[in-house]
Amino acid sequence: MTNNALGIFADPESALAAAGQLKSAGFDGLEILSPIPIHGIDDVLGPKKSVIKRFTLFGGIFGGLAGFALAAGTAVMYAHPTGGRPIITIPPFLIITYEMTILCGILATVLGFFISARFPAIRERVYTPEAAVDKFVVTVACDTEESANRAGTVLREAGAEEVRNCSEDGT
Amino acid sequence: MNFADVNDDVVRSLVVTGRNYYVALGIAVTVTLVCFFFPWFYQLNYGIGAAGMNHPTVWGTYLASFIFWIGLSHSGTLLSCVLHITNSEWRKAMYRSAEAMTLFSLLVAATMVMVHVGRPWFIHWAAPYPNQMELWPNFRSPLLFDVMAITTYLTGSLIFIYMGSIPDFAAVRDRTKGWRHHMYVLLSLGWRGSDKEWHRLGWAYTFLAVLIIPLAVSVHSIVSWDFAMSIVPGLHQTIFAPYFVVGAIYSGTAGIVTVMFVLRKYLGFEHFIKKLHFDNLGKLLLVLSLLWTYINLLELFTGWYSGTSTEYEQLKYKLTGYYAPLYWEMILFCAAAPLLMFSRKFRTSFVPMLILSIAINIGMYTERFLIIATTLSRQYLPETWRVYVPSLVEVSILVGSLAMFITLFLLFVKIFPSVSIYEVKETMNPPTAKKDEPL
Repeated sequence: MTNNALGIFADPESALAAAGQLKSAGFDGLEILSPIPIHGIDDVLGPKKSVIKRFTLFGGIFGGLAGFALAAGTAVMYAHPTGGRPIITIPPFLIITYEMTILCGILATVLGFFISARFPAIRERVYTPEAAVDKFVVTVACDTEESANRAGTVLREAGAEEVRNCSEDGT
Repeated sequence: MNFADVNDDVVRSLVVTGRNYYVALGIAVTVTLVCFFFPWFYQLNYGIGAAGMNHPTVWGTYLASFIFWIGLSHSGTLLSCVLHITNSEWRKAMYRSAEAMTLFSLLVAATMVMVHVGRPWFIHWAAPYPNQMELWPNFRSPLLFDVMAITTYLTGSLIFIYMGSIPDFAAVRDRTKGWRHHMYVLLSLGWRGSDKEWHRLGWAYTFLAVLIIPLAVSVHSIVSWDFAMSIVPGLHQTIFAPYFVVGAIYSGTAGIVTVMFVLRKYLGFEHFIKKLHFDNLGKLLLVLSLLWTYINLLELFTGWYSGTSTEYEQLKYKLTGYYAPLYWEMILFCAAAPLLMFSRKFRTSFVPMLILSIAINIGMYTERFLIIATTLSRQYLPETWRVYVPSLVEVSILVGSLAMFITLFLLFVKIFPSVSIYEVKETMNPPTAKKDEPL
């Protein structure tokens, strides 16, 4: 079972500093829970990449193709000739294409967000309600109780107001 | 004011409910039932003849209300997206309610279509689905563009407001009990506020904003094509798409001013919604009113310059005919009165801004009514000219649609945190180690 050490900090700077110290002490699996997004977090925990943009792009492309196929396919299957004009009329079909591009782009973005941020959460994860109010919480996943204690010491030295140990089931 | 106060204030607005709220909700629900659903039921029973629409004016106040509600929806999500990607700090206290306005006015607009079509139980015929009747929608029709655009906009707005609320649902989840707690547990999806979650939310939210801006512009352009693609004099104009988009953002922004006033006054959000917000919204309204006035002048000019007798007759009818008092009322409310906002003192006074914002929306409703009434009642052949006056059923449904919007909004303020908790915190100074606040 994984143990987690939690350090609760009153301000973002000391939480970031503590995370930096833990990282240089060789701990992995660091997370910072905060009530607001913290700027400069990537400098400490390393840059993050997100796959959401790919979802948006391919969702949009799929939507565009599907939209045009829907309109053009309809026109071909239910042909309705008017005044000798083309059956597949580009300008109005581009509007359907446009709307479907955006619709599928939006839906794919949501899907990408859910997958990459792992929502909805199925199992309990480390959490402390203060992180939604005004505290900045550094959590470290540790393999053994001994390393959890060591992480606790680092957190305390970095100025944590409170240090807790908790197991992965969220207690 | 510190971080904990923001949570306290917003949670209080959700769980503490005074008697006035229930009275307001009761009135709104009653008016919706009596003025909207009862006449609609009557119309379904009696037939669409219960409405005053008849040849040649086959569109009436139902569609005017439809355009009005779609228009009102335009500022919320659109404005919120534009201000999000331009990093405007003042957006943060007000955008949630503005987005809710978008959502609910879209819902009301969709209901107005149901009322207008007469046989709403066949509305699914507008959707492309395999069926044995060999029935398939014609994608060359602007009405079909409309179906696609509004469905997309409704979906997009719903997702946008929901996604921006996830961190706040989590904050409220920790503070509530009973059924509310269960509801927020589900709505917050297990949000913890970890660095990864914030990072993903930031990206997804920005992508959505970027996708929704062109979408919102396309929605009202498409609504305008419902009219502009006909060959009726006064409707067949290329200026209609920008005209509708500007009008929509204009009336939507005025709607935001009204809603901000109400939230500030009755939900106790004086700390969040300040003079600055009214000042900025006032500047925006002023610019939009000037733009709207310009397009109106341009519309008159093109009608006159075209030199065709039908356009000319249309113009004369609009300015001096049966509906002329309404036209001049619209000019007074939407072009003349907003000039008061050149004064900073006016922009930062709450009550005058409220009155002006309501006047602008009355004027904008009139605009939509006139677009339909003046043009359709004066088409090419003089023997088909006929004045259209809404019937009692139509007027009642118009009043009822407003009550329905208010009902939905009243329910919203008790479910969604109507001020964004985390974004308001972002505008504040972060807590420091020395100043220790109790939880």
